[in-house]
Amino acid sequence: MLSEKLSLEGKGVVITGGGTGLGREMTLAMARAGADIVIAARRTGPIEEVAEEARALGRKAVAISADVTDTAQVKSLMDSAIDELGKVDVLLNNAGIVRGQGAIPIWEITDDDWQVGIDVNMSSAFYCARAIAKHMVERGGGKIINVSSGFGYRGGRDNYMYCVGKGGIVNLTRVLATSLGRYGITSTCIVPGFIPTEGTDESRLTLPRGEFIPVGRVGHPYEMGAVAVFLASGASDYMNGESFIIDGGGLAGGAAPTGHAPEIPLVI
Amino acid sequence: MSIPSEWDLTGKKAIITADRRGWTPFLASALAEAGASVAVAGSDGSDMSDAVDAVTSQGGTAIAVATDLTDRVSVEAMVFRAEDELGGVDILVNNASAEFGKRFEHVTENEWSMLMDFNVKSMYLTCQAVGRRMLKQRSGRIVNIGTALSQRGLWNSVAACAAQGAIHQITTSLALEWGREGIRVNGIGAGWMSTSEPSEEDQRELLVRYLPSRRKGHPNDLASLLVYLSSDACGFVTGQTFFIDGGALAHA
Repeated sequence: MLSEKLSLEGKGVVITGGGTGLGREMTLAMARAGADIVIAARRTGPIEEVAEEARALGRKAVAISADVTDTAQVKSLMDSAIDELGKVDVLLNNAGIVRGQGAIPIWEITDDDWQVGIDVNMSSAFYCARAIAKHMVERGGGKIINVSSGFGYRGGRDNYMYCVGKGGIVNLTRVLATSLGRYGITSTCIVPGFIPTEGTDESRLTLPRGEFIPVGRVGHPYEMGAVAVFLASGASDYMNGESFIIDGGGLAGGAAPTGHAPEIPLVI
Repeated sequence: MSIPSEWDLTGKKAIITADRRGWTPFLASALAEAGASVAVAGSDGSDMSDAVDAVTSQGGTAIAVATDLTDRVSVEAMVFRAEDELGGVDILVNNASAEFGKRFEHVTENEWSMLMDFNVKSMYLTCQAVGRRMLKQRSGRIVNIGTALSQRGLWNSVAACAAQGAIHQITTSLALEWGREGIRVNGIGAGWMSTSEPSEEDQRELLVRYLPSRRKGHPNDLASLLVYLSSDACGFVTGQTFFIDGGALAHA
């Protein structure tokens, strides 16, 4: 039964960056599907709120403040998660920053800008996967879900750390899949297109909404929930190393400006 | 263009197919400049004779072979004649493609077939006819000229993109099948192209402003890579398509 396959009943999930934006939507969708969840982020306010909402759905939900770019904190996060949930079946690496990452000419990017951007957008996923992999191996399986971006597949103008980090995430997923598949651990990657949230730069919201997207609209945060549930559930057990792109068709196009529609009569 | 010695095509015999886009004179000239003699195969309405003129006017050897590229008998006869007149065939450049843009719901079955025949079946026919000879001599270079539309969708371009996808995969698969027999099969994926000199007016075009290169490509942009892929230097490269697109595919 599909509904049984998609159920997360009895599963323990850790999500990073789970308090706001797309992370919040994915957390609540997984809670509705039955998961018990540890929600991690630096700021405690938002994750406490989301945990409260998840508990209201009848799930176990624990907010743990952690900076996922700090490997010591990552280790104690995973230890606490195993304590709280008894086990971790799913790690959803969602932490990342979009804000303040774009529109910096390369010569103005400092070492620190670069390191912080790469740490948050890429290394954090590696740290978290590394910290939980042994536990999953010992349990005979697990799922690691990373979150990339359409900018992980394409270059964005003056957008270095985000694009490079997210591109790294796509291939990190493939390496994890290749390396951990034999232990029953699958790794997948969600690739959202433009899905504005409360954290989205206001400058980007001034763009005509959805005009540059084939379906003619931007994505809704709740649309990420179904993808997260699918990838966290047994319904996706044979998916490994691959990306799940949810972008309104953006990556299917891009060779020309949106709507560029040549009319050329056929002459052989 | 001065030719590095590893890329030298002196003594090589090439067949290049022609179409109505006007790229053939530039591509055939590049092969000839590198030392190859060239047979240009195409219809009377194609840029075949322009290509022959371009080669001979620079002192190279070229012959025109009027060919219906969608017809097996015509293609076999063309290859036979090219082989006979040039003294063999070492290089096949599948350059011929027709352009077509129309909303999908209005595409007729006849248009679909004509496009697939000219863009895809023609490649099957030339690869097979030339390939049999290459298999016998255990060497050869095949270069399929496609476009970036093998990688991306485009409005009004379902048929054109489908044909490009097929071309891309002919390159990939054929390279595997004939890899042990000394034949190398590669592709060039062109971006948005123009055969005229860029004008100031062109710069205002939305498509041009969209491109990271801020200009469309010219067939000469493909020429150096074509020579390399046709040469003995290209010994360990096969099954690949190289996009020369001014950054179009990198674009978000």
